[in-house]
Amino acid sequence: LLVRRTVARPGIEFCISGRIKVLRDDEPTQGAEVNLFILSLGFGIVTASILALGAVGFTLQFSVTNVLNLAYGDVMIASAFVAYALNSRGVNIWIALLVGGAFGAVASWFLNRAVFSPFIRRGTRLFGMVVVTLSTGLIIENALLALVGPNYFSYSFNAGSEVHVAGFALTVAQLAVVGLSVVVMLVVHILLKSTQLGKAMRATAADAALARACGINTARVIDAAWLLSGALCGIAGVVLVINTASFQAATGDGFLIVIIASAILGGIGQPYGAMLGGVVIGLATELSALVIDPAYKDLVAFVVLVFVLLLRPVGIMADVSARREVAG
Amino acid sequence: VSSAVFFYVTTLLVYFGIDSLAVWGLNLQYGVAGVANLAFILFQAAGAYTAAILTLGPSTGNGGFQEYVGGATLPFPIPIIAGGVVAGVLSLVVGFLGLRRLRADYLAMVMLVVAVIGNELAQSDTGLVNGPAGLALIPQPLQDVLNLSPSAYQWFYVGLVAVICVVVYFVVRRITESPFGRSLRAVRENEHAAAAVGKNVASLRLIVFVVGGVIAGISGALFVQFIGAWSPGGWSYVETLVLLTAIIVGGQGNNVGVMVGALFVGVVFQEGARLLPTTWAPAGLIAALQWIVIGLCALLFLWFWPQGLIPERRRVFPLVPRKHTVDGRETSSVAGAP
Repeated sequence: LLVRRTVARPGIEFCISGRIKVLRDDEPTQGAEVNLFILSLGFGIVTASILALGAVGFTLQFSVTNVLNLAYGDVMIASAFVAYALNSRGVNIWIALLVGGAFGAVASWFLNRAVFSPFIRRGTRLFGMVVVTLSTGLIIENALLALVGPNYFSYSFNAGSEVHVAGFALTVAQLAVVGLSVVVMLVVHILLKSTQLGKAMRATAADAALARACGINTARVIDAAWLLSGALCGIAGVVLVINTASFQAATGDGFLIVIIASAILGGIGQPYGAMLGGVVIGLATELSALVIDPAYKDLVAFVVLVFVLLLRPVGIMADVSARREVAG
Repeated sequence: VSSAVFFYVTTLLVYFGIDSLAVWGLNLQYGVAGVANLAFILFQAAGAYTAAILTLGPSTGNGGFQEYVGGATLPFPIPIIAGGVVAGVLSLVVGFLGLRRLRADYLAMVMLVVAVIGNELAQSDTGLVNGPAGLALIPQPLQDVLNLSPSAYQWFYVGLVAVICVVVYFVVRRITESPFGRSLRAVRENEHAAAAVGKNVASLRLIVFVVGGVIAGISGALFVQFIGAWSPGGWSYVETLVLLTAIIVGGQGNNVGVMVGALFVGVVFQEGARLLPTTWAPAGLIAALQWIVIGLCALLFLWFWPQGLIPERRRVFPLVPRKHTVDGRETSSVAGAP
């Protein structure tokens, strides 16, 4: 057995550090308690925005393409590194974000074309595909580790002044992340509900054979789904780092687990469920820091998940995923 | 033979034995019954922590530099047995929660999450098993009674692991070659068909999950008693992938095959990297390359030799006409593969 890295913390560690502690120590009055709640709520909304981006991409990938892509977190971090490469050469962070998203899209599409899809055609199924995607993720992560080393990196950008609105205290960059997430969710919603492509995607997700029989070019739809979910994956990776401030090659692992928890919570394969799951887990983790030691806040996500599995093993919004018998 | 080489070889033998135990446990779950247990390493860790705490004595010992719950100094076989029991009980709880009608890939995800929860808990709660620093200075079994020289003790441990391997091998073989094993394979091949002929799929899965968990616990206990230390960094969820790779390489479902896989992946690959010159590479590069090799190994075998080096014996009954036999691993209908 290899003794691996000792730093294996999930990615959502931010905001909570100094500011809240200071408030807690300095202003132990009733007013500060309320304040603290709203502050945490603000951070929870930021976390939820990032989680929703990642979870929708993850679940969309699964529902349309039938591949549970456990290399997702590693593609996220690879995208974050692409954005870092640009940002460190003086490119504006928001342009780097777009490039990171584009990289995520192309990388995911390429992974499917080069690795996942050939394995499925060859007859690798279900758990076999889990091993394939997990191995692919391991290779990506360690290739990054070999390239850039185990150091931590951060973007250089102006996070903007802290904006105080209705008790929230968020930086301009954090507000931009929330806004971006809302816009992207709306775009995904319109795409899925109102466009030809979105309808074709939903039809393919529901029954690929039937969709093909109806004249839908499912191969092209699946390509589009990989590009779209990959773009969400890349964007999620870059905004994660914009928010956490520092990252390294192994950051993706931990964050993927929280994304998976959100996706399962919402019923795997359900884009709207994933949005909801992301919001629930994002808020739960940040708000829990009010009452318990912040060291445990990632565990809260899993406790929520365990309860959901106990009460409703298929997730909050599942109906399709429980019935479907699919490949990969 | 120099003493350094001697220590290296005996240590490798112990590792090989422990890895063999682990892959037998996981093979019973994944290879034979098709239960995708990506949290396997968690049960190994549970056994290791149990054995460690039951030999370390109260946490005030050794100057009280490590914090943990409980603590006792029990004589030799008890900590190892307790490791198996605790891992088995944990498997029962996790299996009861996680094995509820979940599809293989869905179950794999839940297990992945469970493995990370366990590791997180061990890291976050410093009072439970000393947090990220882990436990150290764990006494070796019978060291004080036997009073052996270090090299003789190495051989003693090799023998101990070998005896336990033989016992576990016969238990595992007894399971896989019995009607019960046949039921497990039926569940793996087609759970609906197995349920239709009256097999209780849920309880079969739970039983095999617990048996695999007990074996995992024993292997973890043996490991921690040998190396004398155990920390969360050493059992992140990817370690399960190493064991899975060993099973895929060796031949899933075949007890001898997976042992060969453990030799191949655990010893040849991981230890082979140590023989590389370290002067040209920065620290950490070789470890990263090792992981890349493990990942590539899993992919290449799944592509070229999905049955592994020593494939599972095809069980065909000669009296039944050929067309009625089920051959191949996957028989479930495939809808919607791109």
